Amino acid sequence: MKYNRQELAGNIGFSSVVDPKFKTNSIVIRFITEMNSETSADNAVGVGVLSSSNSRYKTLAQLNEKLSSLYGASFSSAVKKRGDIQILSVGASWINNRYAIDGEDITSEMLDIVCGSVFSPNADGTRFDEASFRITKKDLLDKIESEINNKRGYALSRASEVAFRGEPAENSCYGTKESAEAVTSESAYSAYKKLLKEAQIEIFYIAPEESEKVQERIVKEFSVLERNSAGRSFVSPSKLKSETERVSEELDVNQSKMVLSFKTDSDDKYALKLLSMIYGETPVSKLFMNVREKMSLCYYCASRLVSSKKALFVDSGVEKSNIEKAEAEILRQLDEIRAGNFTDDELTNALVSIENALMTIGDTPSSYSMWYFERFCEGNIITPEQQLEEYRSVTRERIIEASKSLKLDSVYLMLNKEAK
Amino acid sequence: MEKRIITSPKTGDSCVYVKHPSGLDIYICEMPGFSSVEALFGTKYGSINTMFKMKEDSEYTVVPEGIAHFLEHKLFENEDCDVFELYAKTGASANAFTSFDKTCYLFSCSKNYLESLEILLDFVQKPYFTKASVDKEQGIIGQEIKMTNDNPEWRVFFNMLRAMYHNHPVKIDIAGTVESIAQIDAELLYKCYNTFYNLNNMVLSIAGNVKADEVLEICDKCLRACEDKGLETVFPEEPEEIVQAELRETQPVGTPIFHIGYKCKPCDGRERLKKVMEATIACGILTDASSEMYQSLLEKGLINSGFGAEVFSGDGYFSVIFSGESTSPEEVRDALKAEISRITAEGMSESDFQRIKKSTYGLLIRELNNVEAVANLMINAGMDKVSPFETIEILSEMKVSDCFEFIKNELTGDKVVMSVVEGE
Repeated sequence: MKYNRQELAGNIGFSSVVDPKFKTNSIVIRFITEMNSETSADNAVGVGVLSSSNSRYKTLAQLNEKLSSLYGASFSSAVKKRGDIQILSVGASWINNRYAIDGEDITSEMLDIVCGSVFSPNADGTRFDEASFRITKKDLLDKIESEINNKRGYALSRASEVAFRGEPAENSCYGTKESAEAVTSESAYSAYKKLLKEAQIEIFYIAPEESEKVQERIVKEFSVLERNSAGRSFVSPSKLKSETERVSEELDVNQSKMVLSFKTDSDDKYALKLLSMIYGETPVSKLFMNVREKMSLCYYCASRLVSSKKALFVDSGVEKSNIEKAEAEILRQLDEIRAGNFTDDELTNALVSIENALMTIGDTPSSYSMWYFERFCEGNIITPEQQLEEYRSVTRERIIEASKSLKLDSVYLMLNKEAK
Repeated sequence: MEKRIITSPKTGDSCVYVKHPSGLDIYICEMPGFSSVEALFGTKYGSINTMFKMKEDSEYTVVPEGIAHFLEHKLFENEDCDVFELYAKTGASANAFTSFDKTCYLFSCSKNYLESLEILLDFVQKPYFTKASVDKEQGIIGQEIKMTNDNPEWRVFFNMLRAMYHNHPVKIDIAGTVESIAQIDAELLYKCYNTFYNLNNMVLSIAGNVKADEVLEICDKCLRACEDKGLETVFPEEPEEIVQAELRETQPVGTPIFHIGYKCKPCDGRERLKKVMEATIACGILTDASSEMYQSLLEKGLINSGFGAEVFSGDGYFSVIFSGESTSPEEVRDALKAEISRITAEGMSESDFQRIKKSTYGLLIRELNNVEAVANLMINAGMDKVSPFETIEILSEMKVSDCFEFIKNELTGDKVVMSVVEGE
């Protein structure tokens, strides 16, 4: 495997990974900008339109016909939240030219499509094509509306609204229903133009073989952009509330949900991650073994670290009658770690589990891309092996310190109506 | 021991197949350059196998709904410890799942794979059930059933199956119901275990950074030979007709979600694989974003980019399911019916067929790019008694007339059901 990152002018990065075992080529272009309740929906539609048509393939039908004839190549856009940052991306993936039965140059054709959409979208200079815009806007509205379909995910996003109130991270990366309804094809187009000029842009290309042609082309295409982009901070610690806030709401569900949000002021990210592993990220963690297995209080009970906000969530699916008991036990298990009551075995188990996960990162194009993007955000581009060394050097004392730094910020409850 | 190498003439990919003296079918795929390992150890036993007998039995045994899934949960408990504690030492990430027609135990890892394989083979062959542990599990699974009832995607799917099947147990929830699992006890679990967890009824699949010889050495050490007792499973008679054309449920959801299903005639083995591929291309053609039907639905705002189709098949059932979100699912259903009638009357475009066939070929190539996908491909093939690379061969031989006949004969207007979950 070979990894290389090249800085282009105007805050644009081009990274390539060459790994001969892959049978596909893929590219991801990420636009990185501040999360903002005013602009999130415009940005989401602006980038979303790119994968539905461009100036050459003017309808979704034409574009799709081309993609399916290129052996079912995929071309899509996505929106994500990372702390206070909104990440909008377009990505494509296709089978390597050596598998083309009719000898087509799939790679060139796909780069035409991707670059065509980014630099020559289906627009007249002030607005996107109306049909493409309408389809994308409806998709976004449906996504916002259907967030409630996944109850676990919904509870987590309501909990982050409460925990991060007043900060950009309280918003959904899709924007609100109202802001999405207000998006016009003009506002989405100008939002996209602004992203092209001001967003930080990170490009990843992952292929089984080296190709100077591809690199030259990407560099050339992006170097003509007029840019005015400043670097962004990828970590924005969330402020701890002066008093633990409790929010509960009722929904027509069978199982209640509880999310506990903690905040930390510790910078020791490796110790925090190990702490979270021991506490509640594996089936031998304290939360799983005690709250679920021994006490049968929750069907699921797990912790997750949000490094970009210096926060940790514990989410659980719980019977309403067990909520108080479950909260007490979740907090008690954290106190156990604070008091140093975890064995060397528990620490070793967490480490081997991390090692296993780290060593599989090179097995899919998307995990490569995620790995190097995350490292870029952290401002420290290291390999999985180097990160493993960091984890190995963490001592018990550092984990105890990290656990002591966690303070309960807020509690979100989703209660089933019948159980009032 | 029978051992041979199976190679795909189309892609050059290959795997090792072994018929182990213990009775187990083993598939191993060495994937150079990959770091991870994915292993699945599975039995051809799922939620639909509620009625069975051995050759020596005179009567069929009927067991409560959800027992295969219950058994899967219980196997994770050894006499002296929890299986997860053993895996914690090797660092593998372990899991299991029960589907309609199989139960699989799996792990993925990047180191110590032989130790993890030993744990896997060992615990699945070592059942340990007591009254106390069965009682406790009833509580945990009861919570799981409640949680899945809050999942509208799950509800819309099972409601569709209930509208489609009169008697076939595919219509029952995989986890059963709180009432049905209350009938499960240790004795029944042992009965099911001894029936279905016979190595002659099981498959081991392992792919990635592995060596076939090392894998077989562990298999020789850990597998305990089983006598083939001539297991027979039966299903109640299932009429070709559907139960009801429509089923609706209310739940907190955004835009209403729908499943529109066509009930097709079931079949087995290679015949099923061929039919699955015909149906897959038919799905591709009917949900093709380039088609007029798709364009018209999209422009009217009746579907979004989530609209898609899949083939759902197994022992005694076969259906094609169209799913998505819509403010008016009945208009989507009517458009689909009209489009199918049009194709039946006018014929299928050769160029559309070739394009969708090419795109399906691309998807199959992509599968071979991924350790987990290859392991899954092999275990499914092993359970269906077909070759792991057969799909790609069948696809290359397929003609437009095959796909046309499938649509004409199987997607008929009297076999369609619609399930909708909508907000209040």
